[in-house]
Amino acid sequence: MSARATIAVWAGKFTTKLLRLAGSGGTSLPGKVVLKICPDILGHLAKDVKIICVTGTNGKTTTCHIIRDMIEAEGKTVFCNDAGANLLGGVVSAFVGAATLGGRIKTDYALLECDEAALKSIVEHFGQLDVTAVVTNVFRDQLDRYGEVLTTVNKIRAGLSQLPNVKLVLNADCSLTSSLSDLPHSEIHYFGVNGPLYEGTSSDISDAVYCIHCKTKYQYHYHTFGHLGGFYCEKCGYHRQEPEVALTKVIEWKDASSVIEMDVFGQKLEAEVMLPGGYNLYNALAATEVAHLIGLPNEQIAKVLGGLTTHFGRMEQVMLNNAPLHLVLVKNPAGFNEVLQFLIQQKPTGNIVFGLNDNYADGKDISWIYDVEFERLTQAASGAKHFYFTGKRAYDMQLRLKYADFDTSKFSVEKDYKTLITQLQQSRQETFLVLSYTCMLEFRDKLAEFVPLKKYDAS
Amino acid sequence: MDRELHICHLYYDILNLYGDNGNIRTLEKRLAWRGIGSKVTQLSFGEVNRDEDYDIIFIGGGQDFEQEILVKDLFDYKEQWLKEEIEKGTVILGICGGYQMLGKYYEAADGTRVDFLGGIDVYTTASNKRMIGNFVYEYTKENGETFPIVGFENHNGQTWLGDGVKPMGKIIKGYGNNGEDGTEGARYKNVFATYSHGPLLPKNARIADELLEIAYERKYGEQLPPLEHEMEDAALNDIKQQLGC
Repeated sequence: MSARATIAVWAGKFTTKLLRLAGSGGTSLPGKVVLKICPDILGHLAKDVKIICVTGTNGKTTTCHIIRDMIEAEGKTVFCNDAGANLLGGVVSAFVGAATLGGRIKTDYALLECDEAALKSIVEHFGQLDVTAVVTNVFRDQLDRYGEVLTTVNKIRAGLSQLPNVKLVLNADCSLTSSLSDLPHSEIHYFGVNGPLYEGTSSDISDAVYCIHCKTKYQYHYHTFGHLGGFYCEKCGYHRQEPEVALTKVIEWKDASSVIEMDVFGQKLEAEVMLPGGYNLYNALAATEVAHLIGLPNEQIAKVLGGLTTHFGRMEQVMLNNAPLHLVLVKNPAGFNEVLQFLIQQKPTGNIVFGLNDNYADGKDISWIYDVEFERLTQAASGAKHFYFTGKRAYDMQLRLKYADFDTSKFSVEKDYKTLITQLQQSRQETFLVLSYTCMLEFRDKLAEFVPLKKYDAS
Repeated sequence: MDRELHICHLYYDILNLYGDNGNIRTLEKRLAWRGIGSKVTQLSFGEVNRDEDYDIIFIGGGQDFEQEILVKDLFDYKEQWLKEEIEKGTVILGICGGYQMLGKYYEAADGTRVDFLGGIDVYTTASNKRMIGNFVYEYTKENGETFPIVGFENHNGQTWLGDGVKPMGKIIKGYGNNGEDGTEGARYKNVFATYSHGPLLPKNARIADELLEIAYERKYGEQLPPLEHEMEDAALNDIKQQLGC
């Protein structure tokens, strides 16, 4: 450690302490202070630790949670950046937090959730170090943020190209993610689903219709969701790679979990994944692949997947006046379609609340709600008592459902969260709340005045 | 249902980046709620079936990567047909990339040109200005009646109108065609072209009905029955208010 790096660590720890004393939960400021003093601090701190980076559009936070449980089940120690603090500042803050005053990291692993655009700035000082990089998937995200999916792919590419010795763990079913395989690497592994996830999965909404290499339309043996599935290009031959960790069968869909059969590096493994929805199965597969690579035996992997009882930000349950409220975060069309799939399985009979804001963190452009296939939910939600719309763009959301043939006599717009919560309280019905990012934060703030809530843990 | 409008969704699988399907859905629903049928034909690469008669043609916006792919197809198979449709007064809605594509060409920063259809007298030049955000413009009907249109624009290209076209509206808030001359979109015969990307029609029910009215009258020689648009106006007015207009 150079004197400069040591001083930077001290300054970072000091800032963290000050922030705590001031009662602020800000997690990226210490990192900024540290970077001012020592811009290549990560290169100094990361030397003693094995690094796992998780990036991609959807599922970063959940995948990190599962990997963390896997590492701990292996009897190893790990530190992570706070969910959502996934830019350079947040990662540096996490390293400084884990470092001793002498600048040493004593945990075995650093598990880093990395924003796609920030990946390069995070990994560029890791150079030849032992890094495993998981790319969960690439979907269209906030349209005004990166413009197009290829921009996102290129940002991830720019990051990973800094790591010639990286172990790549890629989603085999995502043609965009899988195209990263031509980057320099020491090992490459794939995870994926070996057949359609749901019956009658459509391919109406696809973020990657044309071959990334030769611009010919992809053919599919099957679809799982969005553009994910058994893709191949007839012209140039680009195709899905056979995954070493594969979901071979969904034995049973349950309300908040699913029982699945996997092939893990040639061995059959049955497990109950204690997370709802098909999109979480991809997260479980990615984490299983990492777990195998760090040496966790199969029976332990199944145990971790079956023991995922911690609260996951994407799906949180609280009781309000003896009726359950399910809070679900949505960030983009692919994620939202998965949430709809989950709602279809639930056949809701109580209330459904849709909340949409158009702040920067939600995406200023709300056009994407017309790429969400609400039409698939119309029938399954016909037994619901009431639909509420909230958030800055509540009226747009309401209109979207009108055009999906929902029963408009059950609609109401309620932008005031307090009034909304009071109405839900009085209704005493099970309620699903599907909210965009800042809408979730605002709503939870209000909800905390009614019921005790945990610190929010989602990104 | 005896009466039916035939809608063509051109390059449905390429120019669909921003919830463009919302426009097709709006046309279908606003016909269905009036007891009128609709048939949607999705048209992509390859030849156009010239026996098909379309009442409305919709062209959405896409990613640059995918837009490159279609220019060749445009000239191979669609050029003559689209030009004829424009001239004979078929209702055509072009949005964003679809708007630019109806024009003459796109000129990159280094001066190289990509030729487009040349169906309407506009051209687009690259700029380093990012014209992005919610925007509002005023549309004027044939009879002089005006109404506001609210949408979201996101483009770097600056579009310039020639003598042969009129703007689709006058900018109240936002950038519009080029951020300089206060115009937005283009109108020529029954072509409606605008930067209001993605789902323009759902909350701008009056422009949706304007397209349907023209198409219906061309086909059946009768006026389209009226239809309420309360929830649509609520969404329109709410965002208009948030934008301070």
